[in-house]
Amino acid sequence: MSYLPCGVYHQHYRSDHAWWQTKFVYGKMILLIAALLLFPYLVNPMWLSVAYTISYYIMACMGVQLLIGFCGQITLGHAAFVAVGAYTSAMMVLFIPWPKLIVDWGFAYPFSMIAAGIAAGMWSVLFGLPSARVKGFYLIMTTMAAQWITVPLIITQYVSRIGGRGHYFSLPPGTVKLGPWVIDSDLRVYYLSVALVLLLTLLMANLLRSKVGRAWIAIRDNDIAAETLGVNIVWYKLLAFFVAGFFAGIAGSFYITALYFVSPEHYEWFFSLMWVGVILIGGVGSLHGTIFGSMFVVLVFKFLEMAVIPMTDMFPWFSMKLIYIKESAFGLSVVLFLIYEPNGLSYRYWQLKNYFNLWPFSY
Amino acid sequence: MDLFLQLFTTGIMLGSIYALVALGWTLIYKCSGVLNLAMGELTLIGAYVCLSLYRWLNPHMAINLAFILAILITLIIGAILGLLTEHAFLRKMIGEPVLAVIMVTVGLSFFFKGTIFLIWNPDTQIFTPRIFPLKPIFIGNVVIGQVYLWSFVAAIILLVVFVSFFKYTRWGLSMQATADDEMAALSVGVSAKFVYALAWAIAFMAAGVGGTLLGNINGLNYSVGLLGLLVLPAVVLGGLNSVPGAIAGGLIIGVLQNLTGGYLDRFFPGGVKEVAPFAIMVIFLLFRPYGIWGWQRIERV
Repeated sequence: MSYLPCGVYHQHYRSDHAWWQTKFVYGKMILLIAALLLFPYLVNPMWLSVAYTISYYIMACMGVQLLIGFCGQITLGHAAFVAVGAYTSAMMVLFIPWPKLIVDWGFAYPFSMIAAGIAAGMWSVLFGLPSARVKGFYLIMTTMAAQWITVPLIITQYVSRIGGRGHYFSLPPGTVKLGPWVIDSDLRVYYLSVALVLLLTLLMANLLRSKVGRAWIAIRDNDIAAETLGVNIVWYKLLAFFVAGFFAGIAGSFYITALYFVSPEHYEWFFSLMWVGVILIGGVGSLHGTIFGSMFVVLVFKFLEMAVIPMTDMFPWFSMKLIYIKESAFGLSVVLFLIYEPNGLSYRYWQLKNYFNLWPFSY
Repeated sequence: MDLFLQLFTTGIMLGSIYALVALGWTLIYKCSGVLNLAMGELTLIGAYVCLSLYRWLNPHMAINLAFILAILITLIIGAILGLLTEHAFLRKMIGEPVLAVIMVTVGLSFFFKGTIFLIWNPDTQIFTPRIFPLKPIFIGNVVIGQVYLWSFVAAIILLVVFVSFFKYTRWGLSMQATADDEMAALSVGVSAKFVYALAWAIAFMAAGVGGTLLGNINGLNYSVGLLGLLVLPAVVLGGLNSVPGAIAGGLIIGVLQNLTGGYLDRFFPGGVKEVAPFAIMVIFLLFRPYGIWGWQRIERV
């Protein structure tokens, strides 16, 4: 259904490359967007926060997916770049004396979001520089160093103290304003997150089918071969780091609207590792994988919470240990996915789609 | 100068513990090619097991005897856990891409950490009653805590035991053979599976003792696991596939960490001490990516 029927061929290269080739796909996409827009009115408001957490994970993991899945540069420090984005955005909104016109028109936050993306991108390039010389495990170590240098040292010890605030910056309600809308309720955060995810996914998908994306994939498959074919691997690797950092910055900048504050504990090493785990569960080298992985992880955490919290009346011990139960379950699911389903959830989705493409007359 | 000597000696002693843990890490990498990111959690497991054993044994016998017995039982439990981990998780990953294997160890680190703190209390715990006397020892102008000194002695003893194990025993030789050339080792009848299992068992044992010693110095909590992560800069400095390199790297990291803590903390207050090894490592990697004694790989398409 999402493929052209047998015997119908494309006449132009362009139509061959088009995303939406059949009417079925148009229908599917319209249904998807309608479902996303109507979602808040159909479910318990509790699920809104789950939904925008999923969106946050998708945005953050998109960069990880780009680096690991499409460019072959393993990163274990992505939370640092998200943190840079979040702090840049929060500090720009709070401390810059914006002209009244810009505040009234609600441009301060969008500007800060773009600036956050660029700042995080540059920060990411800084730690991607060693990728010109090293790869594999050594690159893991440098990205890990990015995490350790950025979050526990620079952000916790220095940035958090700006303005004498000690631990965290809080964003008073009404500060974050996007155009005419003040982002002050879960519903608005949700719509903002949906818009951002759609935008970023479109951007990423388009990048990946352009010259840049093909260069990245060539580097992933074999960097030496790519170099001999004339791909400037240093430039494209750094570009990948920049784009991944940019996405991370946008993600960080988005999440401050949901939290109303920024604090270093949301960007610990745990999250860097978790986001790599998310793309492994979802499937490496697939944009669907990012989305499925984020949904899987956030929902599993939520279900664990829902299962454990009612039991805390009987066993108060559980409420103390909830975070460790989550960590344990997450670790185990990553390991089991890698052992038993190394292609991730996106592979299952692909199988399912193929099955229904031919259904009911499979060959 | 006194300050330098002071920091240097303490650094060497701390570094010997890192060297012990780094030895276990390098062993896994050399024998089975697994880049293990769960090393911090391995140190935690050993430390908590030893703490519980020590508390359980302590009322029944003298302090020193209880501690030594606790460490011995920790070694045995570590070996068993190592064999189990290898058998249950890592053996299934033989031949998979590097990223997948690394991420299995990351998943394991989450799993171990979660499980450890499900069982034990995450608050800081200390070994009570104190095993090592509080009274420091003076050598010239240098003051050394007895904890550091005894940890140093224990770490050196274990390092000597492990290194002579590789050199002089049959199992150790088969591990060396596998590390050198796996195919050749297989063809002369060395069981690679056995060697992998042995490497994990030894890594668990070394990390467990390292964790116990670190826990004795500053009390036992999650930060001991983070100290265990410092083996990664250590092995990168030494070169990934070199056992002497790992030991030297551990010592270097210990010394550098103490020196930066002593001299730079005035200028950059806060966590310089924890971060310095990683910063040093990044700069080092830019100039010598394969470490001091590591092999430089030549790649072909």
